[in-house]
This record gives sequence, C-alpha cells and structure tokens, in this order.
Amino acid sequence: MDLGQTITIPALCSHLLVGLSRAMILFVVTSGMSFVLGVLRVPNVAHGSLYMIGAFSAFSISTLLGGGSTGFLVALVLAPLVVALVSLIAERSLFCHLYEREHLMLLLFTFALMLILGDLVKMVWGPDYRSIMAPELLRGSATVFGAPFPRYNLFLLIIGPLVAIGLWLFSNKTKIGKIARAAAVDREMVGAIGINVSRVFAFAFVFGCFLAGLGGALVSPMVSITIGMDHDIVMDAFLIVTIGGLGNMWGALVGSLIFGITQSFGVLLLPQFAIVFPYLAVVVILIWRPTGMLKSVW
Amino acid sequence: MVKKKEMRRSFPIISVALIGCLLAISFVLPPGSAQARNIKVGIIDCYSGPAAVYGKDALNGFKLALSEINKEGVLGRKIEWTKRDTKFKVDIALNMAKELVMREDVDVIVGTINSGAAMAVSAAIAKKEKVPFITWISKSERITGEKGHRYVFSCGENTAMGGKAGGVALSKRPYVKYWIAGDDYEYGHALANAAWRNLKALKPDVKLIGESWWKPGEPDLIPYITAILAAKPDAVIFCTGGRSMTNIMKAVKATGMEKKVPIWIHTATDHAVLKPLGAEAPEGVLGTMDYHFYYPDTKANKEFVKKFVAAYGGPPGFPAFHGYITAYFIAEAFKKAGSVDKEKFIDALEGMKIESPVGEIEMRQCDHQVVLPMFLGVTKREVGKNFVISTDIVTLTGDEVMPTCDEIKKARKK
Repeated sequence: MDLGQTITIPALCSHLLVGLSRAMILFVVTSGMSFVLGVLRVPNVAHGSLYMIGAFSAFSISTLLGGGSTGFLVALVLAPLVVALVSLIAERSLFCHLYEREHLMLLLFTFALMLILGDLVKMVWGPDYRSIMAPELLRGSATVFGAPFPRYNLFLLIIGPLVAIGLWLFSNKTKIGKIARAAAVDREMVGAIGINVSRVFAFAFVFGCFLAGLGGALVSPMVSITIGMDHDIVMDAFLIVTIGGLGNMWGALVGSLIFGITQSFGVLLLPQFAIVFPYLAVVVILIWRPTGMLKSVW
Repeated sequence: MVKKKEMRRSFPIISVALIGCLLAISFVLPPGSAQARNIKVGIIDCYSGPAAVYGKDALNGFKLALSEINKEGVLGRKIEWTKRDTKFKVDIALNMAKELVMREDVDVIVGTINSGAAMAVSAAIAKKEKVPFITWISKSERITGEKGHRYVFSCGENTAMGGKAGGVALSKRPYVKYWIAGDDYEYGHALANAAWRNLKALKPDVKLIGESWWKPGEPDLIPYITAILAAKPDAVIFCTGGRSMTNIMKAVKATGMEKKVPIWIHTATDHAVLKPLGAEAPEGVLGTMDYHFYYPDTKANKEFVKKFVAAYGGPPGFPAFHGYITAYFIAEAFKKAGSVDKEKFIDALEGMKIESPVGEIEMRQCDHQVVLPMFLGVTKREVGKNFVISTDIVTLTGDEVMPTCDEIKKARKK
C-alpha cells in the first residue's frame, strides 16, 4: 500500500475536521461525566446507559412526531430532559443515600445501575436496531478540502463550541454554577456556610446526566440506536476524563479532542491499526502526566 | 459388635434383593413410560445486548417450526426446548452448553450467533461429550471447515459462502483496485479472506490497495470512509456485521460514497439492516443474502412468511429462516434414525434433504454444512415502500458458492 498517496495537506485538514466533529460528541458526553465526578465524586458507570436512553428517547420522540425535521429538533430538546428526569428519580431515591460511601462501593453501585438500565431499555424498546434521520438540511455531504464531509458533522462542529460556551457561562456566571464549583473543591465548607448541599448535589447529578442525554440525542442520526451502545461509550468516556484531569470539565474537552483527533489521524496514517491510536495517546499522556492534562479536582 | 457382623452378612442379601426389585419394576412397567420422554433441544444464544435481535428472530423461527412439527410429533414424542442466554460471551456459552448436557440431558444443542462461542462449544462440549451441535447464525467457515467434526453441523450460510458469492459477483465486473475494510474480529477477517481469495482466483489481475479495520460497533466510520475515498479504489469490500451494518450504511449515505465508488457488503440487503434505516438507506449497494422474506417469490416462502407474520407481527429475517430449517432437520433426522440416539441421529442427518421456504436444501455429508443458495442483489427503494429492498436478484446456487468437499478435507488436514 502506498501511504503517500493518501497523506496530503487537504487530506490532513479533512481528517482534522472529522476528528473534531467526533470530539464534539465525546465532549458533550464526558463533560457531564466529569461534572458529576468533580462535584459528587461519583464515578458514574451508568453514564453510558443515560447516553443510550437519550438516543432511544430521541428515536421515540422523533418517530412520534412523524420523523421529520421538526421531530428531530424537538427530540434534541426533549430527549435530554427525559434523561434528566430519569436521573432525578435515581438521585433522589438511591444516590443521595450513598454519597458518603467509598469510591469502590459507588463504582459497584453505578455498575449495577448500568445493568438495570440496560435491561429496562431492552424491556421498553426491545432488541431491534433503531435509526432516525437528521433534518433534511443536514443530510448528505458537502465538499470540504476536496473530500466529502457530512453536513451533520458540520452541525456538530457548531453545537460543540456552543455547549462549551454554555458550560462556561453556567459555571462562571450563574450562582448555582459557582456553588457547584465550590462544592467540587470543598463540599464541607459549602455546607458550613448554610447552602443546602443535598440540593446542589441533586442538581449537579441531573445536569451531568442531562449532558449524557444530549450526547445520545446528538449521536442518534449517525449510528444504529441499539442496546449495547452504553458499553461502547463508557470506557472511552472514562479514559477521556482521566487523561483530561478527573472532574475538570475543560479537561474533558482536551481529552475529547485528543481522542477524536488521534483516532481520525490514525485512520489516515495506518488504517489497519487505527483502533490503537487513541489508546496509545492515553498511555503516553498517563506516563507523561499521570494526573491528566489539566488540574484534577480529586 | 454382633449387630455389625449381622449387618455385614445381610448387606449382600439386601443389595441383591434391591437390584431384583428394580429389575422387576422395569419389566412390569409398560414400555410407553420410557417413550414418554420428549426429545430435548438445548438452545444457547445471545438474548441480551445488540446481537439479541438475531437471537430472538432465530428462536421465533424455531418455535414456529416446532408448533407445526409437534402437532404430529416425532417418534410418538414432542420436541421440547430450553434456552440459555450467552450474553455474546464465549465462557458463558461454554458453561451454559455444559449445563444443558449435564443437567438437562439435552439430545441436541443449537445456537449461537457468536462464532467464537460456537467453535468453543463445538470443540469442548459437542466433540468431547459426543452431543450433536447445530449452529444456526454464527458464520465462521471454520466451524464446519477446518474445525469441523462428526458432532457439529451448520444450518446457516458461512463466511466461505458469503465471501465466495462476493468474489464471484465482483469478478464479473471491471474493477481492478480494491480496498477492504471491516469489523476487526473473526467474522470480518474471515469474510474478507474468503472474498479476496475467491476474487483473486477468478480474476488474478485485481489489486488490494489498502485495508482498514475498526472495532465492532464503532460509532464513527466517517474518518475511515474519507481515507478510503482519498485512495481512489475502483471498488470497496466492506466486511461488517451486526450493528456495524447500520453504522456503515449510514456513513456511506452521509458521505454519498455509494455514488462515488461501487460497494459490496455481504448482508447489505438484510431486512434487519435496511428496515430501521427506512428511506435513509443508500441505494446501489451490492449485497448477498441467503434469505429474503420477499424472495424467492414462491408459494412455500409466501406461506412461511404468512405464518410468521401471524405469529410474531413482522416478517422473518434470515435467522428465523435458519431457526425454522434447523427444527425441520432435527425432526426429520430423528424420524429417519427411528430412535432418540445421538449417533443414529447424526448418521441420519448426514446428507439429509428437506423442503424449505427457498426450495429443497441438503445437509452436505462431507462437512455437515447446509447447502443454501445465495441471492446477490442491489439495494433500491421501490415505489410504495418506505424501506429499501434487494432488487435485480441473481441466484447463486449452493454448489457455486460453497467450498468443495476436497477443499474441506484439505483444510481439516492442515
């Protein structure tokens, strides 16, 4: 195989864009996971299940509304809210009693929750593959750097930064955001000054899960919506938040960019072994900076 | 001490008396009580996770056939079944198969979608415990090829057949430069090897300019497609299965790849793949399947589909067809054997021919692989349908797409 045939400047630019668009989905999902990790200190293995519920909810809402452009846009708003509701129930009934437990217990508990949610999804939606279409405007591809680039991926390149700006505004300009950040650093102090920590925790958990649902809804027109998609994302998500810096939302952005871009360039450079590249990047980063690229809040 | 001595003396007498009683009971009881035991089939398959859709479909086909078979019965008995969920894991499949043989005392094991699990069960349970094992969805050619033996059978097409069908189809087209891509696991590589081996044999001037492999179920296939298009191959062979099928079809459509380069994907014309995509499925993709609910357009197939729809509310997929013929092969083989004896069952099943929804099919004697035709077609949306179907179907007979018995013998000697 002649490698030089495919590695050109336009090809590199095109793959950079493809990698960035993948990173945007990863960022939306992992920022939520990182937020929960930072504020609640909960390594939520069930985060992937909530992402899956987001995708299935998007399918149901979109189908219910006729499967057109409006259906998809409404699903993009409502599906994360469905996930937020599920997570609120889980938090108030289960999680709120467990925050003081050690991490291993929490890890096992969320693992159990992942299995339960996986079975619930199978009971509600069945084992069949599901699929929804992107709005008419976002279907097909545009030629970017001489290569076809799906319009939907261009849409993701817009949505990703918007979510990042929204997160920045939320954590820096709103009272609840500032309290959540403070709780991430010193939860005892937040409680000592009279703030209802339980409510802050509930909000933080639901907000993190909302982002998982949004990620699921955003990915739904690109992939096969099926049971098992939780397993696909959760391992990558944990690796991303680890290399980014545990509990740091901006670390999740850095980790997602590293993951998405190394995968995309890996395909271009050595397509037979492309799977290895993102994981190789994880190994190199963890040797170089064991606590992640940005400051860990743990 | 005296009591102990007396007990020792009386022990042989009591033992002989007990054995005598048991023998007497066995003679007194009518032979019908031994016949009352039904034929037991143990099913190991995946009923959780993404592959559950195939496991469920195969089970439905099997159940439908049994509902017909059990009306008359087999050798005065009924065929009953019990299933175990392997969760797509080899170790669980092994444990479940062992439990079915040891505890449930099943007469035949059937399953599973996972080729790795099928080969493990074939070697460690079927061959070792001498229990017939019939695979119905797993597609590795090694199951009945190089790893085949007396106790394993396959009621589904395999990668050798799918790959050869692709190789034969592509050899008749003018493409020279190929790119192969697919799921990085047993099925993907086995299919790629078979397709390329046959294509190269039929058309030696073809050239492989690149390969790319991704993890099964990889959600983002756009970078792979971008790289393939940049290499400008004449045609692309995708070797994907399961949920990767939907992902690749979506990625192909999103990039407009189907309009830029000819593509062959084995099972691209599978209804389980095309139905959820609806109108979003790419048209013009070349695919091969061993069963369609709308093809062949024969009375037998129409009847099968009608019964299946009435029972389960939707048309059968290829796993349902495999499940259906598996049940009939089991029933007919026991009838021919004349008793519920595993060795006689195997002798009867070898070379057996039965009528099926796609016509007469045979369980080939030399390798225990069912001889099935392959339907080569192109994806196309027809007016009035809200999903894409396979059109311009060309039937490749079993003989055309299967390795010869000599090739199987050679593979087993390696």
